[in-house]
Amino acid sequence: METVKKLEQIKKEFEEEISSCRGEKELEDIRIRYLGRKGELTSVLRSLSGLSPEEKREVGKKANIFKNEFSSRIDSLKSELEEKEEEDTPGYDITLPGTAPSEGSVHPITRVMGRISDIFVSLGFRIADGPEVESEFYNFEALNIPLDHPSRDAFDTFYVEGEYLLRSHTSNVQIHIMQEEEPPLQVIMPGRVYRPDAVDATHSFMFHQVEGLMVGEDIRFSDLKGVLSLFCKSMFGKDIKMRLRPHFFPFTEPSAEVDISCIICGGKGCRVCSGNGWLEILGAGMVNPRVFEAVGYDPGKYTGFAFGMGVERIAMLLYGIDDIRLFYENDIRFLEQFR
Amino acid sequence: MKLSYNWIKDYIDLEGITPGELAHALTMSGSEVDSMEDAGGDKVMEMEITSNRPDCLNMIGLAREASAVFDRDLKLPGMTLEANLVDKEIERRECVIEAADLCPFYTARVVSGVSVRACGGEIKEKLSALGMRPVNNIVDITNFCLMETGQPLHAFDLDKIKGGRVYIRKAAKGEKITTIDDVERELEEGMLVIADSSGPVAVAGVMGGKETEVTESTENILLESAYFDPLSIRRTARALGLSSDSSYRFERGVDKASVIPSSDRAASLIIAEAGGKAGLMSVSGQLEAPGKKIEFDITGAERVLGVSLQKARTVRILERLGAEVTEKKEGGLSVKVPSFREDLEREIDLVEEVARVFGYDNIPVTISRFVPSIERKNHSRRVLDRIRRSLPAFGMSEIMSYSLIGQEAAERFKSIVSGEVVLDNPLSEEHKVLTPHLLDGMLKAVSHNLNRQNTDLRLFEIGKIYSRAEGKTPFDEEETFCAAVTGEVDRGWQTDSRPADIFYLKGVVDGMLAPLKLKAEYSPSVIKGLSGAAEIKLSGEKDPIGVIAGVSPRMLKEYNIQQPVFAVQLRLRRVMEKAVLEKHYHSIPKFPFSSRDVSVLCVVDTPAGEIKKVISATGEDLIRDVRLVDIYEGDQVPEGKKSLTYSITYGLDTRTLREEEIEAVHGKIKEALQKDLGVSFR
Repeated sequence: METVKKLEQIKKEFEEEISSCRGEKELEDIRIRYLGRKGELTSVLRSLSGLSPEEKREVGKKANIFKNEFSSRIDSLKSELEEKEEEDTPGYDITLPGTAPSEGSVHPITRVMGRISDIFVSLGFRIADGPEVESEFYNFEALNIPLDHPSRDAFDTFYVEGEYLLRSHTSNVQIHIMQEEEPPLQVIMPGRVYRPDAVDATHSFMFHQVEGLMVGEDIRFSDLKGVLSLFCKSMFGKDIKMRLRPHFFPFTEPSAEVDISCIICGGKGCRVCSGNGWLEILGAGMVNPRVFEAVGYDPGKYTGFAFGMGVERIAMLLYGIDDIRLFYENDIRFLEQFR
Repeated sequence: MKLSYNWIKDYIDLEGITPGELAHALTMSGSEVDSMEDAGGDKVMEMEITSNRPDCLNMIGLAREASAVFDRDLKLPGMTLEANLVDKEIERRECVIEAADLCPFYTARVVSGVSVRACGGEIKEKLSALGMRPVNNIVDITNFCLMETGQPLHAFDLDKIKGGRVYIRKAAKGEKITTIDDVERELEEGMLVIADSSGPVAVAGVMGGKETEVTESTENILLESAYFDPLSIRRTARALGLSSDSSYRFERGVDKASVIPSSDRAASLIIAEAGGKAGLMSVSGQLEAPGKKIEFDITGAERVLGVSLQKARTVRILERLGAEVTEKKEGGLSVKVPSFREDLEREIDLVEEVARVFGYDNIPVTISRFVPSIERKNHSRRVLDRIRRSLPAFGMSEIMSYSLIGQEAAERFKSIVSGEVVLDNPLSEEHKVLTPHLLDGMLKAVSHNLNRQNTDLRLFEIGKIYSRAEGKTPFDEEETFCAAVTGEVDRGWQTDSRPADIFYLKGVVDGMLAPLKLKAEYSPSVIKGLSGAAEIKLSGEKDPIGVIAGVSPRMLKEYNIQQPVFAVQLRLRRVMEKAVLEKHYHSIPKFPFSSRDVSVLCVVDTPAGEIKKVISATGEDLIRDVRLVDIYEGDQVPEGKKSLTYSITYGLDTRTLREEEIEAVHGKIKEALQKDLGVSFR
C-alpha cells in the first residue's frame, strides 16, 4: 500500500513541521502546503484514480481523518500563537513621547468667573451684562452715592468725558435691570471694573467683579445668608465657615462684609489671613429702599439683597497667587498652569 | 482712627471684658478693628470707621457702641464750665459770619491769663497712646477734646489777631496763608477761612495759621468751636491736598449739639491745666437742633431680617445707642434719633442698628423664596462660552490684557480703528485710551513671552473693544476675538516641525465658527501695520468684521519681536447674532459615496477658492465634499503654473450613484473648470 505509506509519511512530516512552527506566517505556509488546493493531502486525494475501490475507500477515509486532524492542529496552534502574541513585547519604544496636540488653557480669571457663575446659575440666577462706560447716574446717584460725599472716596473713578466714566463696580447693571424689568429677579452680573489705583502686587486699575441681585416679595436678610453660605461652601469647600460683619455701603442696608474661615490655615491664623483666621471675600446687604425708589420699585412691596465680590482676589486665594499683575502679564508659563 | 482701651474705660465699665473681646465685639457690630498693639500697659486698636459713622471717630462714640453691645451704662464726663471759672468782665470778641452758607454756626471764647507749657499727666499719656504728638497744654487739650467728643476745636493766640475780632468768610482769589505745618498755601476763591482784619488766620475746619498759633509766649487765647458745611470742608481739604483730624470729621459731619458743650469742656480743662479765666462765649449764627423722629415697626424689621426680635431688647438697643424711644398707643415705636446720628433717616436705618447690635451671627440661615430664571444664560453668552471652550482644543491659550492702552498704541493698525475713547484723568500715558483693538494687548503678550524664551505661542483673547457711537449712549463696546500664532505649532519627533502660519490661524477661525454653523469668507485687503492682510466677512454678509494677517516688520520692531507673528481680530456682535447653537439630526447616508481626484494645472495666481467654487457650482447636489489634497509647483509643472489636486466625493442620500453618472458629472466639472478658468489637467 504505497499510498497509505505516503499518507503516513505526510503525517510524520506534518508533525515535525508543526511542532517546530513558531509564527503565524510559518503556520499559514504549513496550512497551504498540506491543506491548500495544491497541498500534499489534496494531491494524494486527487491521485486515487488508479486504485481499487477498497483502497480508494481506505485511503480516502484515512486522508480525510488526517485532513481534519491537521486542520484542528493548525487551528489550535493558531489561537495559541495569537494568544501568545498578546504577551509579546511590542516592536516600538513606548517611552517615546505621545504626539496628539496638547490643549491650550483658559485664563484663571475666566475659570474662576465661570465657577462663580455656575454656582449661582445652579441656584436659579440668570447672568446679565452691562456697559463699562457708564453715566454717573447708574454708577453713583441711583445707587444712593451722592456725587460729592466721603462715601465716594471708596469709589475713585476714571472719567471719560462729562458725566461719563468707567464703572467702578458692576452695581450699575443692577440699575439697568431693575429699570427694565419687574421683580421677581434673580440675577448675577459679572464684568470688568476700573478704579484709579496705582498698580502693585495687590492693586490693579482694572479688575473683575461678580455682582448678584435678588428681588421679590419678602426676601429677607436670612435668605441672603442662606445664598451666600451655599456659595461659600460650593466655592471653597463644605467645611468652610462664614461670618457677616456689619459694614456700610450706600446701596444696601443693612450691609455686611462677608468673611470665610481662612482656606490656607483653616482659621488658626497665618500670613494670608493676617493672623486672624478670617478672609474677607465679598460685600453684601439688603437693597436700600432708596435704590428701589430710584428705579421706580415700591419699597413697601419689594425687598431684596445684593452682593459683590472681586474675582482676582478669589482667584488669588484659590490658586495661591501672590501678585495680581500676573493675571495681565500673560506669561505662558503662568497661563498653562490653568489648563 | 485709634482706640485706647485704657481711655475708653473712662466712659464704660469694661470689668470682665478683655481688649480682645472688646475688639471682637466692636468688629462684629460694625466698628472694625484692623489691628491691636501693646502701648505700655495699654492696648491700642486701629479702627476702620465707615464714612457714615462720624460719631464713632471719638472715644465717647466708641464707648457708646460698646455700651449697646455689652448692655452696660455709658458714663459721660462733665461737659459744663463751672460759673466760678467765668469772668464776665473779659471782653467778648465778636465773630462775624460773612458766609453763612458755609458756616451756619460759630462760637469763640476768650480764656485769658493762661500759662502755656508742656502738658503733663493723663492728657499727655492718652494722646500719645493714640500716636498724637504733644505740642503744649492748650493745643493738647483741644486735641484731647477732639478725640474724646469728636468736636474739632482751635485755639488762636488772641493777641496776634489783628483788629481783635474774626471774620468767617470766603477767601478771595490769590489770598495766602502759612499753615501751622509751615507751608505757605495759596487759597482758591470761595474756600472758607477765618480771617482777622489783615487776612486769613485759619483755613476753616482744616488747619490753623502759623501766625496766630499758640506758643509758649501766648497769654490769652481765643477758643473756636463751630459747625462748618461738610461739603465745603471736603472740597477745600481735597483742593489743598491737606487732610487733618479736623477736616476728616467736619467733612463727615460733627454733632451739632456738641459744639457748645465741647467748648465748655475744653475751657474748663484749660483753666485746670494752664490757669486763667474764661470769658463769656460769643455765639454767631444758629443751628437747627437735629433729632428726627422715625416710626419703627418691629414686625416690619423682623420681616426684612428673617428673625424674631424681642421688643424689650430692641428698645434697649436703640436707647443704648442714644435714641429716645416711646411706645405709641396704636402700637409700634416712635424713635427720636440722637443729634450725633444724622445718618439715621429712615426706618430701614433703625433696622440696621438693631440688626448689627443684635448680631448678624444671631440671624438664621434660610434658603427659600427662589424664583429661578428660566433662561439663565442668554444666546450671546452661550455663544461666547462655546467659543471659549473650543479654542483651547486647538492648542490656543487665553490671555487677558488691559482695556486701557497708550494713545500711540491705540492709533496703530489705523484702518481697523475708529473714534477713540480717551480718559480725562488717566493714571499714566500708558493707560489712557479705552482700547479700540485687541492687537496691542496681544502683541505685548507675544513680546513678553518671546523675550523669556517662550518661543512657540498660540494665544487668544476675548475682550471688548471701545469706540464712539451714535445712539442711546455715545460709546460702543463690542465683544471681540483676537488671536496670534508664532514659532512652531508642532515640534514632534515623528514629523517635521511645522511653523505657525496664517493657515493655521485661519483653521482656528473656521474651526471656531463651524460649531456655530457659520462660515467666513476671506479676501485680500490692505491694512496699516499688517502685511498680506485679508478681511473677513461672514458668508452672506456685506460688511467685514475682522482681519487676518501677518504682523508687518515695522510693527514687530515696535513690539521688540524678532520672529514672524500672524494675528487675527474678529468682532463678535454679528457672530453672536447669527450663530446657531441648536442642533438638528440629519439621517446618516445609507448609500455609499465614491471619490474622484482631479489635478488642475493653472496659472500661479489663480485663487484656490475660485476653483472650489466652480467645482461646487457645477457638481451641485451630487457633491458631498471637495477637499484640496495637494499643491505642487516645480519640476513636473511648467514655469508660472501650479497644480492643485482636489478629491471630490460624490453621492446621493436616496440611492447609490451609478458609475456613468459619476463619470458624467466629473467630466462636466472638468469642462467647466477649463471653460471658466482656462485650466488644464495633469
